[in-house]
Amino acid sequence: MNSSSAEGKRRQRFDSLVAVFHQDMYRFAAWLSRDKAIAEDVVQEALLRAWKSLDSLRDDAAAKHWLLTIVRRENARYFERRRLETVDIDNLTASQAALLAETPNEEIDDLRQAIFGLDDDYREPLVLQVLMGYSTSEIAEMMGLKQGAVLTRLHRARHKLMDSVAQE
Amino acid sequence: MTSEQDKTFQALDLKIAKALQIDVPELRMPELPDIDETNVTSLPVRKRSMKPLWFAVAATVVLATSISLRTSSLFQSYESLAEEVLAHLDHEPDSLRITDVAVTERRLMRVVPASLARFERDTSLITYAKSCVINGNEVPHLVIQGQHGPVTILLMPEERVSESTPLDGVSVKGVILPVGKGSIAIIGDREEQLEPIQENVVNSVAWTT
Repeated sequence: MNSSSAEGKRRQRFDSLVAVFHQDMYRFAAWLSRDKAIAEDVVQEALLRAWKSLDSLRDDAAAKHWLLTIVRRENARYFERRRLETVDIDNLTASQAALLAETPNEEIDDLRQAIFGLDDDYREPLVLQVLMGYSTSEIAEMMGLKQGAVLTRLHRARHKLMDSVAQE
Repeated sequence: MTSEQDKTFQALDLKIAKALQIDVPELRMPELPDIDETNVTSLPVRKRSMKPLWFAVAATVVLATSISLRTSSLFQSYESLAEEVLAHLDHEPDSLRITDVAVTERRLMRVVPASLARFERDTSLITYAKSCVINGNEVPHLVIQGQHGPVTILLMPEERVSESTPLDGVSVKGVILPVGKGSIAIIGDREEQLEPIQENVVNSVAWTT
């Protein structure tokens, strides 16, 4: 196979993976960073890194996990670099507030705000389980935690959300 | 956890899934640098099973009818959704085992997340559940045990079809049913009575996307 053909196929493979998983990458980044603009930057960086290391992905069935792990790492890098302070929920920037843009469903809006207000430790496993469909053992592996700790965080996250919504 | 708590959390999860589904901006692909030629490796080629199993033959048959959409997977182009669905069985021969071991509730919830569909488990024995890619979309791939062997079910919320499309292989038969804004494919042995299974499945699934 000549090099241009190999590169073409490599690009085709990359584009196919990105087409399938871009939405997951963006939503994961957005809920990790709680900021739409930062999420876009993180996804850009993650795509670049994924492109460079695409050949290390041997099985495309594992692509989602691989890409989300890159997003997670890039998000951590971003915050390390910028040394951003934690989000003050009463004083959001436009880009942070954009994540909470109102929908026609008031209940969903309230819940979205409650999720936004969760600590990172609770929000991340919840997003990974409910939105991304991962099992608690997979979440434990991704976050470097024991499965019991993930279960506890998920349990607390749901109770916090139920309490928040009940107070609305 | 009591069943009441379980139901409360399931209902909550549905709402959480909706709340988490924020709008996604159009993809902005970064400028991708050239990769050193020496580092470029050939793509892994998906090898087709050479085992003389009935489902292997299914992928090669002429379909009785086809859907006008031209579909493609990550690796291979197909002339129709029907063709890709049948070929997909060939990609996962492990799914078509005869067994009485059911997948766990947890695995089922992982493969059919609340953000995609609400799936009420009926009395069917679900023996396989995996998230697969059909026509570039993630699709829950389930297998239940029918009277004449495994029956494959593909939940395809993103694949709209205008009418029921029969799937016709040498040893298998099936159908792609329009369900709401998506569709569900059900494929089993030629001897299998698929109609009651179709009815159960369609009544058990509600898209949440």
